[in-house]
Amino acid sequence: MSGGSTPDEVADHAFLAALAGLPAMGPARLRALLGLLGPAGSWKVASSGRLPREVQAVIGPRAASVATSWVEAARTCTPEAVLAELQSVGVTVTRRGEHGYPPALVDDPDPPEVLFSTGRPVVNENGPTVAIVGTRRCTRYGTEVAVEFGRGLAEAGVVVVSGLASGIDTAGHAGVLAAMGGTPPVAVVATGLDIVYPAQNRTLWRRVADAGQIISEAPLGVGPARWRFPARNRIIAALADVLVVVESHLEGGSMYTVTAALERDRPVLVVPGPIRSPASEGTNRLLSDGAAPACNLDDILCALNLVCLEPVSLATNHGAPPVSADPADLGVLDALGWEPTTLDGLATRTRLSPVQLGSAVGRLQRAGLISEERGFLQRCSGRGVP
Amino acid sequence: MLASINSATLLGVGGHPVRVEVHVANGLPAFGVVGLPDASCREARDRVRAALVSSGLAWPSQRITVNLAPTGVPKAGAVLDLAMAVGLLVACGELEPETVDGLAFLGELGLDGSIRPVAGALPLVDAVEVEGVVVAPENRLEASLVEARQVYSVGDLRSLVRALRGDDEWPASPDLAEFDEIIQYPDLSDVRGQPIPRFALEVAATGGHHLLMIGPPGAGKSMLARRLPGLLPRLDSSDALQAARIRSAVGEELPPGGLVRRPPWRAPHHGASAAALVGGGSGTMRPGEISLAHGGVLFLDELGEFAPKVLNTLRQPLEEGTVRVSRVTGSTEYPARVLMVAAMNPCPCGGSGAPGGCRCPESVRARYVRRVSGPLLDRFDLRVDVRRPDPGELLDGNPGETTASVADRVATARQRAVDRGVRANSDLSPSDLEAEAVLEPAAVSLLEAALHAGRLSARGLHRVRAVALTISDLQGDEGSLGADLIDTALSFRIDPFSPVGPSVR
Repeated sequence: MSGGSTPDEVADHAFLAALAGLPAMGPARLRALLGLLGPAGSWKVASSGRLPREVQAVIGPRAASVATSWVEAARTCTPEAVLAELQSVGVTVTRRGEHGYPPALVDDPDPPEVLFSTGRPVVNENGPTVAIVGTRRCTRYGTEVAVEFGRGLAEAGVVVVSGLASGIDTAGHAGVLAAMGGTPPVAVVATGLDIVYPAQNRTLWRRVADAGQIISEAPLGVGPARWRFPARNRIIAALADVLVVVESHLEGGSMYTVTAALERDRPVLVVPGPIRSPASEGTNRLLSDGAAPACNLDDILCALNLVCLEPVSLATNHGAPPVSADPADLGVLDALGWEPTTLDGLATRTRLSPVQLGSAVGRLQRAGLISEERGFLQRCSGRGVP
Repeated sequence: MLASINSATLLGVGGHPVRVEVHVANGLPAFGVVGLPDASCREARDRVRAALVSSGLAWPSQRITVNLAPTGVPKAGAVLDLAMAVGLLVACGELEPETVDGLAFLGELGLDGSIRPVAGALPLVDAVEVEGVVVAPENRLEASLVEARQVYSVGDLRSLVRALRGDDEWPASPDLAEFDEIIQYPDLSDVRGQPIPRFALEVAATGGHHLLMIGPPGAGKSMLARRLPGLLPRLDSSDALQAARIRSAVGEELPPGGLVRRPPWRAPHHGASAAALVGGGSGTMRPGEISLAHGGVLFLDELGEFAPKVLNTLRQPLEEGTVRVSRVTGSTEYPARVLMVAAMNPCPCGGSGAPGGCRCPESVRARYVRRVSGPLLDRFDLRVDVRRPDPGELLDGNPGETTASVADRVATARQRAVDRGVRANSDLSPSDLEAEAVLEPAAVSLLEAALHAGRLSARGLHRVRAVALTISDLQGDEGSLGADLIDTALSFRIDPFSPVGPSVR
């Protein structure tokens, strides 16, 4: 589906898609090939195995074995078939610099030469863009904050980009999808557009594709290879005007996204978390390293040079008296606080009998004020977060 | 000449009567044993010969044939040694046949003529078809548990022959008063704080609900579990005899007094095989740990480290209260009514398992989760998180409630289940629950919601109801079950493997 493309461009897309699908074809190698030989020439060279010296230098000492694997892979596919398959599932191919290629990526230090995308071309509209990233192993706190930021930003007309991973990414996308009449969601994924990873996000994947846009550097059929996740993260960082890290451990993919954003002079905003929560260890470290805190939507909008008409404090909003709760149960809610706690911890704090406590927790859960995950009780804002 | 002596052999935990026929005839001197003896049984030839010679009794230089009838039943072990020796003495005229009338002989022989104890004396004595039995002194206690038998115990072959001939009295045996077992279970007062796990123990003991404790290393899961047998009622006579029978069959020592009155405590290591857990093995089939825990507690520490296949063999015995082990050589049934208590870490990294706090990659966690199958998990009516106790509670010096006072409450509440015609509430069938655990309308809608949310299976629904009934028994409530009890039962049934983080439906 290369609407409005010239026949030459269509042929180039076929070569680009086939080239991107070769084994061990990273962005740097592809860039080296194309810069030297163009799409058709690159394919010819890659499928014959006679790599020019400059390309061999980019690949490094394993150039010979990489060349062999390319020849072998090229033998079983033709550029025309690759393009036909992409078109049959409605995937758009765009080359760097072409119409439809995200403007933010054109002058990137490490730009993807070719992008595959489904859905509407949201990122090309050049509106303010925010990336919401964070750990896959998030807490309820992180989930809620990501949902609220996602929703608030989308409603403010900001494009929200994330990675369709589990945890914070899922929550961010869910917030965007929950926004009323907001901007559509954008996801950048590390796998081919026909491979849903992680598999449990299938529904979310479909809803994001239906409402917005999913972008990938990988052609169809590419599975979740390890190196593709940091590579995907650099695209997220490059697309965003502001990066928001909601929750992160000391090590993890979000930290890579932060590094990539700083290399590109993108402001990084960080959500402060409890100092005892491992999932906030990385984010709190970023704050002490000098990142700006994202305590509410206004902080993010200001970083985008937008103005929030009615700043809403999340803190006071969280503490708003839950109308539906029994006054006696509010004591339990206070004892729970904002850190994950087990029933036993809560019983020790409240000194209630198991039955008094168990029934109070049950009522609060139904009121949407407490959520339970593997035995850990966590306080919720009570606003129907997934 | 021919002699026929009563004895018995062990099959599983049951005895089987055996007649040992000894034939002595002229011919080349030989000693053959026929009738499906196993290796140790066939070796009796050498032991019997040496024992007779050492005791100064004559050894006939004739052709001796021993037949173990019924010939179709496999005989194992050395329990028939004594019967063979006595049969030989009768067959070659050393003893008059009348002297052994109405007596059965159970014992292993030493080369010096001593009579040694055998494993499984209790079921063996139970199996013989005559009134009197002769056993080794060490087996006397077990043998006396069978009330219908006159038990004689003799320490060596020579004394036995003298007693049978009437030259001497039977050796005197001490009176056997039933004295209580001295094992003391550790006391609950050692546990500080941890109100929820403590209550879970109380509910488990009252209702016979299997309990799973999830917590990081060092949280005190094993410490809590060890205190559970002390909360359970003592075994009644038939259970005590059955427990003694099982323990006797595997050759473990019986408590003084013979009967197993205290609820047993078994904690097999997680390397245990399926046969070790539920019973079996080739040749003589042994009862497994689940049968040895009959009437008491089976504690599975590190549940996630057990082989999944081994764990799944527990499902049927847990459901039925008995184990049926089938092998080529035959099948046997062992009792297996246990309270199962298991402990596991939330994930392999040994962290607290708190959201965001685990360092395990998702794939490692998924593999760990798969080790405990859903159906097995569903058998745990009570599933609680155990955290390290609050430091304040540990240091404040006030002991927790004692085992004795909790056990009193448990006994009172258990009486209510007995009044319903079951041992404990976990034995109530769904239709019993319909009648006994009437739900208030609010409670019904709560359960419906949990079912619709996929939080409960149909089995889980009944179990939650039974747990709610147990809690109401503990509180001494009358009447129907309210929403508070259902909420409590649900909050004691966490899903340790639920997916983490947000999801979009």
